[in-house]
Amino acid sequence: MNNQIINTEIITKKQIKDSLLDFVSRQFLVDKEDIELDKSLIDTGIIDSMGLIEISTFITQNFNFKVSVDQMTRQNFGSILLLVDFIDKNKRFN
Amino acid sequence: MKNIKRCTRCILSENFPKIEFDEKGVCNICNNELLCSTDSVIIDKARGEIKNLFDVARGKSEYDAILCYSGGKDSTYTLKLAVEKYNLKVLSFTLDNGFISPTAFRNIEKVVSKLGVDQITYRPSYKFMKSLFRLSSLETIYNPRTLIRISANCNSCISIVNNTALKLALEKDIPFILAGFTLGQIPCNTIYYKNNYEFLKDTRKPILDKLKSQLGDEVSRYFEISDSLITKSGFYPHNINLLTLEDITENEIIEEILPMGWEIPKDVDGCSTNCIINAFNNHIHNEKYGYSPYELELSHLIRNGQIARERALEKIYDRPVDQIEYTYRELEIKHN
Repeated sequence: MNNQIINTEIITKKQIKDSLLDFVSRQFLVDKEDIELDKSLIDTGIIDSMGLIEISTFITQNFNFKVSVDQMTRQNFGSILLLVDFIDKNKRFN
Repeated sequence: MKNIKRCTRCILSENFPKIEFDEKGVCNICNNELLCSTDSVIIDKARGEIKNLFDVARGKSEYDAILCYSGGKDSTYTLKLAVEKYNLKVLSFTLDNGFISPTAFRNIEKVVSKLGVDQITYRPSYKFMKSLFRLSSLETIYNPRTLIRISANCNSCISIVNNTALKLALEKDIPFILAGFTLGQIPCNTIYYKNNYEFLKDTRKPILDKLKSQLGDEVSRYFEISDSLITKSGFYPHNINLLTLEDITENEIIEEILPMGWEIPKDVDGCSTNCIINAFNNHIHNEKYGYSPYELELSHLIRNGQIARERALEKIYDRPVDQIEYTYRELEIKHN
């Protein structure tokens, strides 16, 4: 599923989570089991602030919607689980 | 350092974080073909979208873009691209960190004159810059993730460059901030993005708190933007890295900029074409982490066929002792 434009009509939350974990693991050279799903990727030292830009671009490329400035908040980007909810919510209404 | 085990295809060394080698000595990043093939898809898409952004905004402000111009080869070529290929009205901006090569300053003068662009040079207090460099050399300030691709001192300097460029863009309603980064220096997913200062500021707060605790509130002047300016300007510019869109080798870049009077500085290390402190920065990074902060960038260029592996090795092994010693003295750091 990675690196392909995903069909937003059929993708599940699990697929979103797996896709995000694949990306974070590969892009930031971290083992998947070391990623705490409910913790901030910045606070746990996995990414820096540019990493948030990378994740934002990854979302745009793979889930067919642009992340607006107003949507870039801790509420949406604060952890893998929050990101999954954010993507799921937006791909459904996009 | 020359005896260290390196990938047989790129130059990533055994000390690089999370590196693994296969039976042929090829590293896991070289073997990750998925990562490499994705880049070209993202770049192609970015090329079209950046052109559209420029077409919509061109001519609507006093300047179309502010370009962070170090005087080095990459930002020189990026300035040329912005003016000649993309037909942008550019404000060139240089941060004088106190360690810029005199040749680089002459290059800046010649190139901006030749291209007919306005130029601003901003020199923060040398006392502050030395304190900042001393601190980021001796202590761990930045996220380890950041230091995979950049030395701590370069990151300190570039943070001020980025903040000052954003401040100027907001003050002058400039829609684009351009820089001469290559892929490898920056990840493929950050070729262009809308600069969301408020969000990024929140994520950088622990680092700023560390800096302020050591250097005082003066840090705010160089690393932060006032709420009143954010509110007054009411927009965020796009950051765009034009050089990442070009399929060009290092030698071809130099051939393109030599006719403008640009000269290769002789007082910098092999990884820089503008900054005297770079040799010291690399030396400190090597001492702390066991690998060069340029390994990731140069390895990416090798995989793309933009530089030969032997040339990349020459660059990271070039460690001019006189420049390192000069910086130790300037920063008043004692060493054996």
